[in-house]
Amino acid sequence: MEKVKVMVVDDSKVSRAMIEGHLKKTNFEVCASAKTAAEALSMYAEHRPSVVTMDMNLPDADGIECSRKIRLIDQDAKIIMISAMKDASLVSAGREAGISAFLQKPINPNDLIDTMMILCQNKVGRVAVLRESYAKAFVRALQQGLTSLVGITGEADLELDERRFLDVSGIAVIIGLTGFPVGRAIVYMSEETMRKFSAIMLGEDSAEGLTEDDASDSVEEAANIIVGRGVSNINDVFKDKEMRITPPGTICGTNIRIASPKLTTFKITAETRIGTICMNIGFAEGE
Amino acid sequence: MAMDAKLVNPFIDAVTTVLPQMGFPEPKRAKLYVREKNAVSLGVSVIVGFTKQIRGNVVYNMTEDTAKFIASTMMMGMPVAEFDAMAQSAISEMSNMLTANAATNLTAMGLEVDISTPSLTVGKNFQVKISESQYLTVEMDVGGNIVELDIAVEPQ
Repeated sequence: MEKVKVMVVDDSKVSRAMIEGHLKKTNFEVCASAKTAAEALSMYAEHRPSVVTMDMNLPDADGIECSRKIRLIDQDAKIIMISAMKDASLVSAGREAGISAFLQKPINPNDLIDTMMILCQNKVGRVAVLRESYAKAFVRALQQGLTSLVGITGEADLELDERRFLDVSGIAVIIGLTGFPVGRAIVYMSEETMRKFSAIMLGEDSAEGLTEDDASDSVEEAANIIVGRGVSNINDVFKDKEMRITPPGTICGTNIRIASPKLTTFKITAETRIGTICMNIGFAEGE
Repeated sequence: MAMDAKLVNPFIDAVTTVLPQMGFPEPKRAKLYVREKNAVSLGVSVIVGFTKQIRGNVVYNMTEDTAKFIASTMMMGMPVAEFDAMAQSAISEMSNMLTANAATNLTAMGLEVDISTPSLTVGKNFQVKISESQYLTVEMDVGGNIVELDIAVEPQ
C-alpha cells in the first residue's frame, strides 16, 4: 500500500515533530518538512505531496501568501491551515488563497487525520483509507487473539473482499460495529475447526466430549475478544471515535449465506494447524 | 432480568410507522412469545446490533416469500421472482430503516443508542443465538405476511 505523502510547513521543530507523531500509525507519511515559505515552494515542486499542513507564521512570509504561491505551482494542491488564531477574516482570506481546511492549535490528532482523509479521498481512495487505518487493526487483533487464546501463531492475509456473499458452513459470529465507521465483523470457520478451536480453548485433549453449545460458545467468546481488541486498536489511534461493538449474534448451520449490501468488506484469513479461521470486516459507505 | 417488555414497543412502533410510509398495508401485531437463546431462522434473517444505553440484537426474521413480497412492495410493485441481490438490498435497507426508527423511539424514552449495519443471512435450517437467556419475539402481520422480530436487548 502506497503511503499518502504529506508536506509539513512550520518553522517550529516541536510543531513539525508533533504533526509527524500524529500521523505515525496512519497511512499518511511526512515526505517533506519546510521551515520557510521558500523551502515550502521548492519542496512542493520536488515532492508533489498529496496534502500540505501550513503554519500561519513563517519567517519569510505568512501561510496564506505561501499557500497562494503553492497553488500557482499546482492548482489542485490540498492545503490545511494550522494556526493559533482562527477568525473569520483569516478563513475568508485563506479560502481565497485556495486553502481547503482550517485547524486551530493545539491540533487534535483525529481532526487532523480526518481532515486529511477527506481531502485525500480522491487520491488515496476510500478503500485504501479503510484498509490501512481500520482493517489492519483487525488483522493484528486476530493474530494476537489466536496466540493468546489457542496458542496459534502465524500470518493472516488481508484482502478486499468483493464477493456479494459470504458462504459459511459451521459457525459465523456476527458482531456489529457502531460509532465511526459503522459496520460489522464476522468471524467464521468450519464446524471441524470450531470443535478443535474450542477444545484447545477449554483445555480439553480432544473435541469429542464437547457439546455443540460448548464449541459455539467458545468461538463466540473468542470472536468477541478478537473484535473487541480490533476496535481498541482503532480507538487508540482515533481517540474520540469511540467505536463500539454490539453483543454477538452467532449463527450455526450449513450452507448459510451472509450478505452485506452496501458495505466495503475485507477478508482476513489465517491458515492454522486446526484449519482456516476467517474474519470479514465490513464498513458502511458514506458519513 | 434479560428482557424488558417496555423495550418491545419502540420496535413495534417503528414497524407500524415506517412500513405504511413505504406503501405497505397497515401492519398488525399478531403474536408475542418469550423465547430462549436461539432464534430459528425462517429462511431470511437480518441481524442488527445495538450499543450504548441499550445492548443487544434484533433479528428481522421472515420466509423467503415474505422477503420477496417486501422487496417487491419497496420497489414500487416490481415483480421479484428471485431473492436476488437487489431484493436482498431492499430487505437490508428496510431493516436499517426500521432499526433507525426504533433507535429514535428509544432515544425519546431517554435511552441513547447506536446501531450497527444490518447483516442479512439466507439459508435453510439455521439458528441465530442472540441471547444468553430469554428474549421476546413479536410477529407482525403485514398484509397476511408475517415478519417476526426477535428482540434481545437490555438496558445497560
